[in-house]
Order: sequence, then C-alpha cells, then structure tokens
Amino acid sequence: MAKLLEVKNLQTQFLTSAGVVRAVDGVSYDVDEGETVALVGESGCGKSVSALSIMRLVAEPAGRIVGGEIVFKGRDLLKLSEEEMRDVRGRDIAMIFQEPMTSLNPVLTIGRQLTEGLEIHLGMGPAAASARAIELLGLVGIPDPARRLAQYPHQFSGGMRQRMMVAMALGCNPALILADEPTTALDVTIQAQVLELLQDLSRRLGVAMLIITHNLGVVARYADRVNVMYAGRIIERGTAAEIYADPRHPYTLGLLRSVPRLDEPIRAKLDPIEGQPPDLSRLPPGCAFAPRCAYRVERCTEVPPLAACGAAGHMSACWVSASLAKEPVA
Amino acid sequence: MTHYILKRFLLMFPTLFGVAVLIFLLLRVVPGDIVEVRFMAQGQYSSEAVMAIERAKLGLDKPLWQQFTTWMWGLLHLDFGVSMWTGAPITEELKLRFELSLQLAIMATVVATLLAIPLGILAAVKQDTWIDYAVRVFSIAGLAMPSFWLGILMILAMLIIFKWLPPMVFTSFWVNPWENLAQLIWPALAVGYRYSAVATRMMRSAMLEVLREDYIRTARAKGLWLKLILSRHALKNAMLPVITVIGLEFAFLMGGLVVTEQVFSLNGLGMLFVEAISHRDYTLTQALVLIVASVFIFVNFATDIAYAWLDPRIRYR
Ligand SMILES: Nc1ncnc2c1ncn2[C@@H]1O[C@H](COP(=O)(O)OP(=O)(O)O)[C@@H](O)[C@H]1O
Ligand SMILES: [Mg+2]
Repeated sequence: MAKLLEVKNLQTQFLTSAGVVRAVDGVSYDVDEGETVALVGESGCGKSVSALSIMRLVAEPAGRIVGGEIVFKGRDLLKLSEEEMRDVRGRDIAMIFQEPMTSLNPVLTIGRQLTEGLEIHLGMGPAAASARAIELLGLVGIPDPARRLAQYPHQFSGGMRQRMMVAMALGCNPALILADEPTTALDVTIQAQVLELLQDLSRRLGVAMLIITHNLGVVARYADRVNVMYAGRIIERGTAAEIYADPRHPYTLGLLRSVPRLDEPIRAKLDPIEGQPPDLSRLPPGCAFAPRCAYRVERCTEVPPLAACGAAGHMSACWVSASLAKEPVA
Repeated sequence: MTHYILKRFLLMFPTLFGVAVLIFLLLRVVPGDIVEVRFMAQGQYSSEAVMAIERAKLGLDKPLWQQFTTWMWGLLHLDFGVSMWTGAPITEELKLRFELSLQLAIMATVVATLLAIPLGILAAVKQDTWIDYAVRVFSIAGLAMPSFWLGILMILAMLIIFKWLPPMVFTSFWVNPWENLAQLIWPALAVGYRYSAVATRMMRSAMLEVLREDYIRTARAKGLWLKLILSRHALKNAMLPVITVIGLEFAFLMGGLVVTEQVFSLNGLGMLFVEAISHRDYTLTQALVLIVASVFIFVNFATDIAYAWLDPRIRYR
C-alpha cells in the first residue's frame, strides 16, 4: 500500500532555561493508507511533541522543529506556508487529544464546535453542517444527537466528550487521525469502548490512524505496526505480533513486563522498569536507556547503538538485541 | 437561569439595608456633629443650651432608632429628606449631579473598555514584541499620570491651540446633546484613559492564559484561522475577569472623581461627597453613600448576569 505519511529524521527541540530539550531527536516512522500505527513509550519521551510536530502546532517560540521532513501525500508539511498548513489541519489530518475535560471549549456548544470545521473546510452552510454534526454524533454512538447539539461540554461525561472529539476529528473525512493518548484520562471500561469505536470507525471509513499511548497492552488489539519510543528516539519498530512475541530491545521488554496483557491470564506481579527516563536536555553519550538497562554491556554507555533491521523490517537499536531473542516476555 | 438571576436580584436588598444601617451608625460615631461644625465655621462661641436647641431643630435629640425609622420611612417613599446644612431637599439637589456623574462614569467606562479590550488582546497576541511593550508603556503611563493633570493639559491645549474652552455649565444630554458632550468628553477621555490601564493589563494576562488552554490547541488543530480563534474561542473566556474589573471601576467612578470634577469644574457627586462629610451633614451623606452603594451593588448584579451569559457552566447550575 502507498505511504500516506513519512516522518523522516524529525528533530524538535525546546529552548528552556535549563538548556536545549531534545524532545524529538531524529525520529522516523511511516503510516500507510488506512493503517493503524502505534507510537509507544513512557510519559515524557516525546510522543506528543512528535504528533504536534506533524500538525506544526509545537508551542512557539520555545519549541522549534529544527530538522527532518514530514511527507504527507507527497508534500513536505514543513515546507508549507501557514495558510496551506491550516487547510491540512482538520481537513486532511485531524487530532484527538488526551484530556477530554479541557480540550473542548467550555463556553461554546457541542454543535458550534462540531460544525465550525465543516463550515471552514467543506464550505457547508449552517443547516448542512448541523445535519452532518447530528450524523457524526450518531456515528460515535451518542444517543439523541439532535438535542445534544445545543448542549455544552460540561453536560457531557468524560467518555462522551472523547466520543465528541472523535466525531469532530472524523468530520471532514480526514486521511489520517493522530490520537494522542485518547483514552488515558478515562475509566478503564470506557477506555475499551472508545478504543473499539476508534478502531471500528477507522476500519470502516478507511482512515489511517497514529495512536499514541504509554500502555503497550492497549496497542496489542488495535495497531498493525508499533514504534517504541525512548528519550526522543524510536528504539524498536515492528508489527504488533513481532513486538509482542519477540521484543528485541530491553526497554520494550521492560514495557511488556510492566503492563497487564490482554492475551494472557492475569499475572500476580507486574514489573515496572527501574529508574527514571533521562533528562532530555542532558542525554548521555551512549544509549539513553543504558543506565536503567539490565543487559547493559560496556559499549552501551559509550557508543549509541545503531538501528539494526532484522527480518521483514523488525528494527531495534540495541547492542545486545541478538541475545534478547531467547528472553521470555513474561 | 431565572432562579439564578432572581436570587442575585433579591440578595441586593438585604445588602443595601446593611449599608444603610452601617453608614447611619458610622456617621454618628465620628466625633463632631453638624451643629458644632456650623458654629465653629461661624467662629462663634456657643453654649450647650443653644446647641441643644439647634440639635432639636434637626431632630438629632431623638433616640437613634427613631431617627433611623424616620429616615427609612422617607426612603420607602423615595424621599431623601432635606440637607441638614442647607435645608434644601436632597432629591432635587442630587438629580442633576447624579445624571452628570452617571453619564461621566458611563462615558469614561466606554473609553476605558474601547482602549483596554483591543489593546489587551493585541499585547497578548504579540507577547514580548515591541507592540506588547508599547501597549504596556502606554497603559502604565496612564496609571502614572493623574487624570486631573492630564485634564489640565487637555484644557490648556484646547485654550492655547484652539482658543476654545469646553462649556462650564452642565447641560443635560436630553436638552442639548452637543453642548453636553462638548463638556463631558474631555474628562471622560482623561479618566477613561487612566482607568483603562488596569483593564488592559487584565485583558492581556487573561488572554495569555486562555491562549495556553487545551481547547485553543484543539481549535488550531481544526485549522481555524487566528482571528476566528481569538474572537470565537478565546475572547469569551478571557472576558470573565475583565468584566469584574470594568464593573468595579465603573462603580468607583460614580463617587470617587473629586479632583477631576474640580479641574473640569463639574458639579458631580464627588465634590458634594467631600463637602457633605466635612459638614457632618448626616442626611446628605447618608443619601450619597446609599446612592453610590446602590450603584456598586447593582454593578455587581450586572456582572453576575454577564458571567452567566458568557459562561454556560454558571448558567446551568
Ligand atoms: N512547551 C514545552 N516547553 C518545554 N519543554 C517541553 C514542552 N513541551 C514538551 N516539552 C518537553 O518535551 C519532552 C517530551 O514531551 P511530550 O512529547 O509531551 O512527552 P509524551 O511522550 O509524554 O507525550 C518532555 O521532556 C517535556 O519536558
Ligand atoms: Mg503526551
């Protein structure tokens, strides 16, 4: 299938009083048309910044995209003018944010927030936009959508707001949806519902999706391919099956051991990774994960590992990845 | 919503009554009364007996509760009584002055709002650029310059450059709007400029805060252009704290423009307030305090309604 999005060697930095924070440090990944790709990693490793970079919404002036390419449908988004970029946002690429409580405007009705994108991008009049908004709310499973249009976000529960965000994202039939931890703030039962909804709709409507999460367990069911991110870099990439059955990076292994898995009986003990992610303004010379790594060898702290590709594009950046093959996942 | 407004509306009356009791008692606690002040002003020595007769004439010999009920009874009939100092009916005396002060307060508030909202938004959007600094200097200058001084400058400028002076006598807007505006526009500009400073800063900081909100990021991710994000998504949210400031300033303007009134020779409430208190003119002071307090309380009520209008979370509570 054709490549829809190709992120090549993306570098995004923040200038802070503590120095230059390399939030995204040479990241490459791609998304095919209609495919669901996951970006996984602990909190603070640069997942959100990488998604915001695609939308060119990194908080300026502190944040800057300093290098790389973001090729979407053959065009480098980083070379577009601000006006051209506005047409891409919401129209070709939509984004769903983590916090359903704060991501909707409290003083505007649900209807207003749903219709404005339709009016701007599709040139719909108020009546057509309202009709489409009702259709969208129905599509994401909100009961009595016509009445809901006149309501305000505070009258919606967290799960309903996130459904509303999904409706908003789908409004203009985008080719790609960036879902940044779309369910992290929700109750566990509702998390599953919203994820099912996202998966179902993206399959049905043929929308590609980049799903960002810190929970590798979540991804199992929903992603075709997985990118594991650590300290601003992709350290392992593969199909969901490869990542689950045969992780080739100690960090991925750690992530897998630290979350409950849906495909296995509940284990008595979860095993979180020891230590903290590094300070992104002062990265060590070698592998950024080395200080926390149980498989560390001398070379790890001195030379950054090369990305090595195994069979069929299963990539990992680790000096000892070969020896991990025998490790049990759980 | 109706419930909310009704509750706020009804709350105004006990508040006003509280103010009435308080000012009534406070005035009588302050040392010296009108009789002493008047004899002192005339430089006469007077015996206690003479003073007692004078007090009896003014009804000050009666027990406090009786004085209070008499006053309240009058108020219920919208009658403020007569000034203890001049003997003139207070309602008559206050009519034109109230009109003048109210109009000046409204005009100055309009000037302040028209300056503060666009400048505050501009400064926030252009944060840390020369535009932002220029706006901040402009508004701090307004605070640093007393408005009477600005008023004097304006009058001198008009006199020297145009050989013209604004009218000295207040004409009601309803009688002759041009004459009226020719007199009041200058103090309104001077005072409005000064009072815009706080509102501008509030607008700027509220806007900066709102622009950092998640829902603004959502709006940008939808591909809206900046003007629409500002006017539709940011302004309503950022207006909330600004409305409070503007409301309070308006209420202050009603009674607090003593020096400006002098510079522009306006017969508003401010100067009268100072005179009434220094004369210990109980009835007049009480009337003035009650009027200014009513304005405060009403403005507060209006602010609450504006909040509810802007913010559905309040409206639907
Ligand atoms: N506006 C900002 N200013 C400074 N640093 C930022 C800003 N936004 C993010 N960062 C830094 O970038 C790094 C990655 O953040 P983020 O992408 O939000 O992580 P996550 O993977 O949890 O989504 C963090 O270390 C954070 O400190
Ligand atoms: Mg994040």
